[in-house]
Amino acid sequence: MKLMILDKSALAPMVNALRADYRVVGPQARGPQFAFDVITDPAQLRLDYNTTILPPKKVLQPQYERLLSFNRREYQVTPIIEATPTVLVGVHTCDLHAFLLLDQAFSREYPDAHYLERRRQTVIISLECLEPCDEYSFCRSMGTLTSDTGYDLHLTDLGTAYAVHVATETGRQILSRYATVREATEADVRQLNEVLSAKWPRFTYRLDFDAAELPALLGAAYDHPLWEELGERCLACGSCTNVCPTCYCFNVFDEVDMQLVAGERWRCWDSCQLDEFARVAGGENFRKARSARQRHRFMRKGKYLYEKFGELGCVGCGRCIRACVAKISILEGFNAIHQSA
Amino acid sequence: MTTSIYTPEMARLVKVETLTALEKLFTIELPGGRSLGHSPGQFVMLSLLGIGEAPISITSSPSRSNGIFELCVRRVGDVTNALHNMQPGDMVGIRGPFGRGFPIEKMRGKDVLFAPGGLGLAPLRSLINQVLDERGSFGRVIILYGARRPQELLFRNELEEWIARPDVECLVTVDRGDETWTGNVGVITTLFPKITINPRNTVAVTCGPPIMYRFVLMEMLSKGIPETQIYLSLERRMKCGVGKCGHCQINHLYCCQDGPVFTYTQIKNVEEAL
Amino acid sequence: MTSNGKPKVAFFDFACCEGCQLTVVDSLQTHLDLLEAVEIVQFREAISDRGEDYQIAFIEGSCTRQADEERLRKIRAQASVVVALGACAHTACVNALKNLHPLEDVRRWVYGDQAEWYDTYEARPISAVIEVDAIIPGCPIDREEFIRVVKALLLGKKPPLPDYPVCVECKLKENVCMFHIGKFCMGPVTRAGCGAICPTYGDGCEGCRGFIPAPNENAMKDVLADAGLTVEAIMARFTMFNTYLVSARKADGEERR
Repeated sequence: MKLMILDKSALAPMVNALRADYRVVGPQARGPQFAFDVITDPAQLRLDYNTTILPPKKVLQPQYERLLSFNRREYQVTPIIEATPTVLVGVHTCDLHAFLLLDQAFSREYPDAHYLERRRQTVIISLECLEPCDEYSFCRSMGTLTSDTGYDLHLTDLGTAYAVHVATETGRQILSRYATVREATEADVRQLNEVLSAKWPRFTYRLDFDAAELPALLGAAYDHPLWEELGERCLACGSCTNVCPTCYCFNVFDEVDMQLVAGERWRCWDSCQLDEFARVAGGENFRKARSARQRHRFMRKGKYLYEKFGELGCVGCGRCIRACVAKISILEGFNAIHQSA
Repeated sequence: MTTSIYTPEMARLVKVETLTALEKLFTIELPGGRSLGHSPGQFVMLSLLGIGEAPISITSSPSRSNGIFELCVRRVGDVTNALHNMQPGDMVGIRGPFGRGFPIEKMRGKDVLFAPGGLGLAPLRSLINQVLDERGSFGRVIILYGARRPQELLFRNELEEWIARPDVECLVTVDRGDETWTGNVGVITTLFPKITINPRNTVAVTCGPPIMYRFVLMEMLSKGIPETQIYLSLERRMKCGVGKCGHCQINHLYCCQDGPVFTYTQIKNVEEAL
Repeated sequence: MTSNGKPKVAFFDFACCEGCQLTVVDSLQTHLDLLEAVEIVQFREAISDRGEDYQIAFIEGSCTRQADEERLRKIRAQASVVVALGACAHTACVNALKNLHPLEDVRRWVYGDQAEWYDTYEARPISAVIEVDAIIPGCPIDREEFIRVVKALLLGKKPPLPDYPVCVECKLKENVCMFHIGKFCMGPVTRAGCGAICPTYGDGCEGCRGFIPAPNENAMKDVLADAGLTVEAIMARFTMFNTYLVSARKADGEERR
């Protein structure tokens, strides 16, 4: 892996150059928080962001997307793949790990061309976290505080410049075409190593146990009293799953024009926390209780996805804890299950 | 052109038959008379453009496909309501077949006990007719079928054929009879005492409304049929049919991919299954 | 149907501000093709005709008098599809606030010494009197939702009515949560479909679209109390638009975990 140095003053020109050929998406201020959005002015890019309301997953799996168009009169169906060449800047490593899981979910068995084409057209420039983003994250516990894969370029803040790890040929070409960089010197490497070593003590382990134990712990906790307690507090609003970087469940619906002839089939994010998620047309609801729905979320994050993909479904980003108005914490939940085991 | 797993293929309705007040039988032909290539117990995603998509089990058996397949559909939601209003010649979208069907190889040489309830006969009929078309490869064929009322019995002509066949033991019951009904009255479990079986050589298959499974399974187990030889077909909400959308998940199992046919062993400790 | 195959549509109003019908008129500005798909035979706010051979009836307003019941039943007898248009018809909306007080007091406050002339009683949604086939919630209605419902009716589909709360649409828009900026919001228990319009423009949801089917009322009260509201203020939030539903839920004693 090659190491280059990008002076901070060279970032804005790079973003502007990229904008000529790509849609550039990066973290921007949204009120007191941050959100990934299309960059129309390099000044909008806030690489100093703590975290975003929604994960950058939305670039690969948009909240709403068209799957196909149809004509009801002619019984004609045409697939729609919504993909634009995109450079996604500023992805934290927790979200990178989530991408690896999404890649598996959408490529296994029946490959999903909609996701995979967007993924193919997305260049990822990630960012090493040097400070905890806030009180809710527990990335270090989940092993997502760094990553050596999943990106084309990876930035580490060295003060006046970024160290840039070049991981792929795409990344190399992006740098050579759009950026002014220089090769790293030994002094740069030394500084990078210092920065990387110094960051770890700032992040504390928040899980009381090794995350590798999670699947087994949850496997024994199916009848744990925690679920009832969470069911009492949960509003079933779906925020925890909607902000989750590894949730990928979706709903599908049709829209037609006023003549009822032409239309489109859409998919949008869906949530297992919502009352109607497991309800069949006949009316039977197979996961009716809020307690059972919260249990399903915990199980999916800590057990089911691991069994399916070999990756834990929780990357410790903390977004669900931050988003829950009822203050349900998946971290506290995991710890409670461990304590009573 | 790009392709997508979510794009249905348009297929023609060639026949629509009314079975009951709520159920119709739809015969569908794929373009070019191509075979669907399904195995009994699998399902398709049925698409009506502008209305939506729904998973429907295939009721015809592969042995009788001949370029067509059949869906037995209850009028219960948007898609099925709209389907019921369609006529031969109209087109529907089809994706699939999807899912894991019945392992017919494991049934060969064995006695087969079918115990469908109500609309549960639809997916089982695919297997029943496959078995009957290869009658020599199986031992006894026992069919215990229950519906709520006589007029809700599906495939009455076929039921009568099965009853008439000397190589099929077919018993039918209704929860509540009427003046025309001279047969058994009582829930499906009341048929089990009427049969004797060699449990170790029997494979049992059931499908029906959620409330029925527990009681039918209890009867099967109490007859001594091994858990690994009991198969169930489950119904769940599905939006993709291919293990992505998450709606059909039963704990860690995906009904659309791991099922819809499960052995009792697979689901007996899975709380969300029944 | 008319000879051209278009369904005939009529609009009616009861106790309301007619704002929802105004939204319908407004939606015609952006969806001119709606008029090609249906024929409007009665719509006091927009046309002078009063055709009585309609198939689809949109009803705005609450039932607040004996005479309303008779008129509602007459509409029901004629229409094959009855749609509750807006919160007054759907939940009795703010009209039901008066149900919290003795009727004589309410009449005296409003009509003074002429109170005896007015036979108003407790405000109710139209579903308390007649069967309703579809609901377009909201105060006022969302014009895009109105169009979606019309299309569904024309397609013979069950009109869409989200069973999930406003939080879903709010999160998908990536709004900053109202509770994160010190505001109060009924979004977690309120039926979506409005595109989370109030939080999107910086105000907490007031619950005008009624509750989701199984709202966790106790948890919502806890959240509002934690955010600093008094018991009285919490009740005011619950009853502002949903007095009728709160009373009905209390009467049912229905609580689901």
